[in-house]
Amino acid sequence: MSKQINVALIGNPNTGKTSVFNALTGLNQKVGNYPGITVEKKEGICKLPRGVKAHIIDLPGTYSLNASSLDENVVIELLLNKNDKDYPDVAVVVSDVENLKRNLLLFTQIKDLQIPTILVINMSDRMAYKGISLDIEYLEKELNTKIALISTRKNKGIQELKELITHYKELSSEPCLNASTIDKSYFDNLRKAFPNQLLYKLWLVITQDVNFGKTDRKTIEAVEDFKTKSNADLKRLQQKETIKRYQFINETLKKGQTIDLNSAKDLRIKLDRILTHKVWGYLIFGVILLLIFQAIYDWSSVPMDFIDSSFASLSEWTKNTLPEGAFTNLLAEGIISGLGGIVIFIPQIAFLFLFISILEESGYMSRVVFLMDRIMRRFGLSGKSVVPLISGTACAIPAIMATRNIESWKERLITILVTPFTTCSARLPVYLIIIALVIPEGRFLGFISYQALTLMLLYLIGFGAAVGSAWILNKIMNFKSKSFFVVEMPNYKLPLFKNVALTVIEKTKAFVFGAGKIILAISIILWFLASYGPGDNFNKAESIVTEKFASENLSEDELHQKIESHKLEHSFIGIAGHAIEPAIRPLGYDWKIGIAIVSSFAAREVFVGTLATIYSVGSDEEETIKNRMAGEVNPILGGPLFNFASGISLLLFYAFAMQCMSTLAIVKKETNSWKWPMYQLVIMSAFAYIVALVAYQILI
Amino acid sequence: MNTIIQNILVFTALALAVLFLIRKFFWSPKKKSSKACGGDDGCGCH
Repeated sequence: MSKQINVALIGNPNTGKTSVFNALTGLNQKVGNYPGITVEKKEGICKLPRGVKAHIIDLPGTYSLNASSLDENVVIELLLNKNDKDYPDVAVVVSDVENLKRNLLLFTQIKDLQIPTILVINMSDRMAYKGISLDIEYLEKELNTKIALISTRKNKGIQELKELITHYKELSSEPCLNASTIDKSYFDNLRKAFPNQLLYKLWLVITQDVNFGKTDRKTIEAVEDFKTKSNADLKRLQQKETIKRYQFINETLKKGQTIDLNSAKDLRIKLDRILTHKVWGYLIFGVILLLIFQAIYDWSSVPMDFIDSSFASLSEWTKNTLPEGAFTNLLAEGIISGLGGIVIFIPQIAFLFLFISILEESGYMSRVVFLMDRIMRRFGLSGKSVVPLISGTACAIPAIMATRNIESWKERLITILVTPFTTCSARLPVYLIIIALVIPEGRFLGFISYQALTLMLLYLIGFGAAVGSAWILNKIMNFKSKSFFVVEMPNYKLPLFKNVALTVIEKTKAFVFGAGKIILAISIILWFLASYGPGDNFNKAESIVTEKFASENLSEDELHQKIESHKLEHSFIGIAGHAIEPAIRPLGYDWKIGIAIVSSFAAREVFVGTLATIYSVGSDEEETIKNRMAGEVNPILGGPLFNFASGISLLLFYAFAMQCMSTLAIVKKETNSWKWPMYQLVIMSAFAYIVALVAYQILI
Repeated sequence: MNTIIQNILVFTALALAVLFLIRKFFWSPKKKSSKACGGDDGCGCH
């Protein structure tokens, strides 16, 4: 009687592996646990042609042989240990026709263990529906294997699979990837130390910390001549291995698989065809962006006005209710006004993240990443840079940290350097208040407001500056390296309310509490600097002004206004502001805006809080931030200080300037040098200054 | 008396604000080595 054939069924989750197992074994199956662990073990007997029997073991689903869970460890330990009674004579790798590329990663790894391997392509009944056709002969040749095209749902191809298992001895054991190409010197050392072992097995032992027979990681590391690597280096080599495998898979599928989107009948494919189209895709994305900005303006104006007037009333109430004195003034003019400058933007920030979260949850954001990848490649970056650039719309800091998965140092560095150009949520308060002041409220084509259109343009300018500077840096930095990007398009689905709500709450909280503490501290300092000053000009302001205007017969209110204005000009902040004024005057700004720019170097959104605090000092009237800014008069030219020319100049300055200390700190941390953040600071600030200057001089 | 208390409060608030900003931007103690950055996690994100 011939020995039973040991067959291991292996595959990614959701490929129909268990259906193949059921189709092969029928009722001849039992379920138990692997010894010592609670991972389920399913095995069964399959009757093959000519009276041959196969012992089928259904291994837990795994995406690769880089194990991250107990289930996946079971797969690796079995495949590495030839002494295990279940060690397979033949491995049957089950794949799903719709996700062949991803499924083949595991196939190539198993093939490299030199186990005879059959590739099962399941769900073949979906091929016509998805417009997929396969050149089986070509794939068999390139992958050095036999392929069974089956459909467990339609019960097709099972007999052919059984035939292939019966003739498993005819299968080639040639590997797909030469392991030593991952790192030649490292693998040469490995080969010298263990001349009789399979190289790829040793590699898995080192990276997965598993063992086979008497060989484990410690045994390998104990060999004197063999220089082991740090975990970070091993991780990098693993990534390199994965990239090499995908290169091989991509090459193979380029000829072996055709996807005809025109003949596809699936809704998802139809949607993808439109949403990722090289013209319609971008147009639709543009329209969606426009609608988002329109909604941000339309929906948030009511709560925004409510918050603004509430803070103005609270400030007034504090001044009238609490005992007169410096601390009451600090509360009313410094803290409440400063905080009002940040709380007012909660509705817009919440709406922005509501839309971003809906786009992410629905699966559309992956299509955007795909669309952007096309653009990025033209500018010398891969799609891996898209994720940091898009997440930079929330905050540059996590975005810069997200560049860690870019293998190519050049690409990573460029992404780090250009990410601060993307419009982060901290710029939003500055943009919103300036746009509200200088852009008219009318509507373009009777539907899209000019203000929303301006906001969208600013986002596009930020993105354009990022990719444009990436292109320049790519030309300047003369070192070659390349990385690859794989993105899985999830199915479209209705966003879950809970997930969307949690994202909105978390992001809004981070914005308010993260920036709130800085703004509170800066507001206190600014109020102090604006309320105290050196010398007689400040301390004897009342008598100086009264004497100066004695002949003009001013009302009490007018005189009070003149005194407060005189005090502010001669306060500490006034002196500092006047010192920097010559540098910012050509941009159309006065010394108060100058102070706001300097203080917002800590965080951009401090700009509005600073102006709110400076304009509040000495003011007895209950006024909103917007009205105070609208009422400011240009001391030299007359007319509103925030006019179209100075407003556009300010918007452009904030679009390009590196106004964020935290971002500089994270760039230093990620590049391990002060050189790059300093370049960033100087170049971005100089560029912002020049653009703002040119804009003002043209528009004035 | 009221003036003195109010001034003490103002200077205390000022000292706290300056200390907070110095700690935040110039002399921050080592943060936890979490990879995540979000919420009020102290990684400087705002």
